[in-house]
Amino acid sequence: MRPVTLLRLLAAAAALALLSCAPAQRADVQTASSGKRWFGDLSPPAENVFTYANGAEPERIDPGLMSGQPDGRIARALFERLTSPDAKTLEPRPGQAYRWDLSPDGLTYTFHLRPGIVWSDGRPVTAHDFLWSWMRVLEPVTASRYATFLYPVANAEAYNKGELKDPAKVGLAAPDDSTFVVRLGQPTSYFLTLTYFYTCLPVPRQVIEKHGARWTRIENIAGNGPFRLSYWRQNDRFEMVRNPTYWDVANVKLDRVVAYSVDDLNTCTNLYKAGVTDWNPSGYLPAQYIPYMRDYADYRTGRYQATYFYSINVTRPPLDNVWVRRALNLAVDRETISRDLLKGSRDPWGNLSPSGYPGYQHPPGITYDPEKARECLAKAGYPGGKGFPKISILFNTSEDHRRIAEAIQAMWRRDLGIDIELSNQEWGSYLQATTSLQYDIARRSWIGDYLDPNTFLEMWRTGDGNNRTGWSSPQYDALLRRAAAELDPTKRFALLAEAEALVLDQGIVIPIYHYSTVELLKPYVKGLYQTALDVHPLQHVWIDREWQTRPGPVAADPRAATDQAGPGSDGTR
Amino acid sequence: MSAAGAALGPAFAPEAEPAEATGSRPESLWADAWKRLRRNRAAVASMVFLTALGLLSLLAPWVPGLADPTLQDLRLGATAPTAAHWFGTDELGRDTLARVIYGGRISLMVGLVATLVSLIIGVSWGAIAGYRGGKIDELMMRIVDVLYSLPYIFLVILLLVFFSRSILMLFVALGLVQWLTMARIVRGQVLSLKHQTFVESARALGASDAAIIFRHIVPNTLGPVIVFTTLTVPAVILQEAFLSFLGLGVQPPDASWGTLVSDGARMLALFPWLVIFPGVALSATLLCFNFLGDGLRDALDPHDRRDVA
Amino acid sequence: MTTFLIRRLLLIIPTLWVIGTLTFFMMRFAPGGPFLAERDIPAAAKEQLERQYGLDRPLHEQYLKFLANSVRLDFGPSYKYPARQVTEIIFEALPVSLELGAWALLLAVLIGVPIGVIAAVRQNTGADFAAMAAALAGVSVPNFVLGPILVLGLSLSLFVFPPALWSGPQSRVLPVLTLSTAYIAYIARLTRGGMLEVLRQDYIRTARAKGLSEFTVVAKHALKLGILPVVSYRGPAAARVVMGSIVVESIFAVPGLGQHLVRGAFNRDYTLVLGVVLFYALFLMLLNLLVDISYTRLDPRVELA
Repeated sequence: MRPVTLLRLLAAAAALALLSCAPAQRADVQTASSGKRWFGDLSPPAENVFTYANGAEPERIDPGLMSGQPDGRIARALFERLTSPDAKTLEPRPGQAYRWDLSPDGLTYTFHLRPGIVWSDGRPVTAHDFLWSWMRVLEPVTASRYATFLYPVANAEAYNKGELKDPAKVGLAAPDDSTFVVRLGQPTSYFLTLTYFYTCLPVPRQVIEKHGARWTRIENIAGNGPFRLSYWRQNDRFEMVRNPTYWDVANVKLDRVVAYSVDDLNTCTNLYKAGVTDWNPSGYLPAQYIPYMRDYADYRTGRYQATYFYSINVTRPPLDNVWVRRALNLAVDRETISRDLLKGSRDPWGNLSPSGYPGYQHPPGITYDPEKARECLAKAGYPGGKGFPKISILFNTSEDHRRIAEAIQAMWRRDLGIDIELSNQEWGSYLQATTSLQYDIARRSWIGDYLDPNTFLEMWRTGDGNNRTGWSSPQYDALLRRAAAELDPTKRFALLAEAEALVLDQGIVIPIYHYSTVELLKPYVKGLYQTALDVHPLQHVWIDREWQTRPGPVAADPRAATDQAGPGSDGTR
Repeated sequence: MSAAGAALGPAFAPEAEPAEATGSRPESLWADAWKRLRRNRAAVASMVFLTALGLLSLLAPWVPGLADPTLQDLRLGATAPTAAHWFGTDELGRDTLARVIYGGRISLMVGLVATLVSLIIGVSWGAIAGYRGGKIDELMMRIVDVLYSLPYIFLVILLLVFFSRSILMLFVALGLVQWLTMARIVRGQVLSLKHQTFVESARALGASDAAIIFRHIVPNTLGPVIVFTTLTVPAVILQEAFLSFLGLGVQPPDASWGTLVSDGARMLALFPWLVIFPGVALSATLLCFNFLGDGLRDALDPHDRRDVA
Repeated sequence: MTTFLIRRLLLIIPTLWVIGTLTFFMMRFAPGGPFLAERDIPAAAKEQLERQYGLDRPLHEQYLKFLANSVRLDFGPSYKYPARQVTEIIFEALPVSLELGAWALLLAVLIGVPIGVIAAVRQNTGADFAAMAAALAGVSVPNFVLGPILVLGLSLSLFVFPPALWSGPQSRVLPVLTLSTAYIAYIARLTRGGMLEVLRQDYIRTARAKGLSEFTVVAKHALKLGILPVVSYRGPAAARVVMGSIVVESIFAVPGLGQHLVRGAFNRDYTLVLGVVLFYALFLMLLNLLVDISYTRLDPRVELA
């Protein structure tokens, strides 16, 4: 055979092989009958599998030690707490505990565990497991990053810091196998929401004692949650299957969950568009896309418990002068940044704590007032910006941070007549600089850990590790202490608002915008709602292959009732 | 040097033409080569393209009608190519055509400077080693061997991740990767040249070693050096682009083609033109350099049709 | 042969030592550390972690410990993923990178060699120019340009292949194609060069004169020696594929070693980066050694240096 003909045959064979690799059916329904536009491929999975991008590879899936949202999502699928958050409202619902009581003085919670709950290796889950798990978190040698979540428990902080040596003095007790008693140091109205955090998940004592640090390996791990781990490859994916020993297994409709560990935002979005994933969680969409995604019906957005602000190092002149700080604060045009730079994808925000706390009245936020800003600067001793030393804004390398910094640099030059520099460092150096107070002004963000404004206010106490501004105010510390002891919720919120007003008045931070959740969700996924804490219990999710015939708002309004009207309680196995 | 490499030999076996002491030989070589090169249409087209690109890059600030690449128009945002913006705009409203041209300035500059760095180091090293011979030669080439086996690119990546990412660091890092092969080629040439008559006469006339090396021998190695340089520039541009793609190369606000491609790839699902235009520019430039290099190699040594990897 | 082997192996050890030391000190002196985070860790926790990893010991002690452990191939647990040992991580990711590289090289040979042969046989005709131009184009388009364009066309517009990841046969296609393109081109050029050399030889003319068909002449007689440059290129090719796979793995989120290197560097994961760098270095050097040895088998004219 002549070489040319051979080549032609090879080419044809290759083409055929390539084409046959293509999947059999890929329905590209760009516009559903309702006339909406969808972003990418719309064909639902053939099996009852829910696939999503989980972000960066979790450092660990040990709930007591982990930190990070990707870690948390996996942990929440494999383990369950005392209470389980409602999928829509995040209210505490019975989880491993079917009932709980609060004593009249607000100090003691008594949890009654469900009968018959077991770990996936067969051992029963008892109150002693919860006791052991929480004590483990508080144990100093465990080096748990979020032990602070349990500090409301009596003597927990002292024990965790190593000041108290006797574990029996900590306010946790398990009088019998199915009763778990928690005694608080003072009334803490948000305590139950604190326990949502993955640090408070129970862990199997028998496995940890046997395998030590390797207990989370797939051959060792045991959980009490709706799913169990069936496959795990690093930087690749987690695969979880329904856990047959879970107490509510009848209501878990998914057979399998696949979580890909992809941290590149663009790749996450591409995977969603190509139909490989069914859900692109919040934060995994490149910021530049947001303004262009609003027309798509699978784009969902809502307020998120996080704010973006600049932190000021008050130990460095001229920033130690409160008038300088006030001037800087008043000369930032948040509206323009939010509207033009961020294309309205984030709300401008003049407060420190975000919205979403029912009953909490924010103090008046900082507004844009260049006149007043100039006055403040003059009062500080730099009229018209004359003689103002060169300071710099520090941020970790990112186009978004740079653009905002450049915009603010221009605003301050225009309105105050001062010239500042920009300095960007990569993440490791940036962290080092901020923790060691080696900066003038630094970009920061803070995400709320629980549904209470305290999570944004406690960090500014004197000496708190997350303070990072060098600011210390006995008056502020006292306000927070009084608020913590206050039983009446209205009075308590008033005290917290006063504290927040103090922070804003002292200008130690420059609030800029309020975060939103932005996620993409395929229309055939039901049971997944937008929540303020961006927490999504996976056991309520199901795949609706008949979504087109059953139109119901998937996007904006999370309180639409039609989603829940799925197949009956025997599920779609 | 690996045995395989030795067997293939340097690309340029010494010419069979007799040497002349006066140095008129190089001229006829060049004229000859030029004639052959002119017949290679692809090479000529590449030369034209590269010259045009070079001129455009150099004169970019004065080209009429070319937008300012840093000018942002936030209300416009990213738009597909239109009459006003031939290559479209990016998400900050910056004109992509301008960005690509200015990006070319940076890419070409990095390519040329880093190549120059590797040229200076490599030629000097190879010439000295080849001329001196003996123990010095062995030592110098042994060092080259050891360095050759280091996975340079890893160390460069680590260096750039942990320490400063200034453009200076980039030049040095990239130049350091390329000089080794240059050194080997030059050494091979020098080895064959140093026994020629014109060298003997220069030595007899009392010229110092340095003078002999740099004034007499090196100019005669120019042929392969030129070819290799023409092929090193695209290699360096490619490496810089690769580093920029990983976020380690040129830092904002400067942008090279690598950064443009990297940024564009991050918005592939919505704004594909941001990848396509810089990508095509980069590929076309590299292509032309490669065509030119091939053509020069053919022109300077028509008997050698072997391609050295 | 044995002296050659011994000399080469002896060269490997100091090279590894240099690399290891360089990397070790680079990581230690770089700003930032593995335990800094946006959110503060209680001081007790941080101390505990540092003690666990031996970071509280003086630097020279750490270095010696590192050397001792490296010889035993024990790099300890990864900083970022403490439930896993570095060697474990490497061996889990290694098959992925190997598979990617192997497919790429296989494809490169299967497509590149025939193209090169045809170009040589039809030298200076249209087919030759077309093939060589295509080859040059393949070499000139960087894989981080080609990758996104392939994704754009075949994944995001026509939902044929997944845009990333490494699960299932479809997801292999785009990364392998992207990685292999440059090598298809190289190998085509090399084959052409080698074939041209061989086709000029007298014995080829003899074979033709004997009346053998063109195909037999080319495939049976010329190819064996004409393919030598490709064979000798195997070593550098494999090395380059390793480098190229770093980018391809990043673009396509393939869970291989290249990803671990890049992410580990950004995460300041000391132990993982050290392990991966040393592993790569060793792998590359052994590969070069193997190629050199095999080359002597193929061409007895070659003397080992």
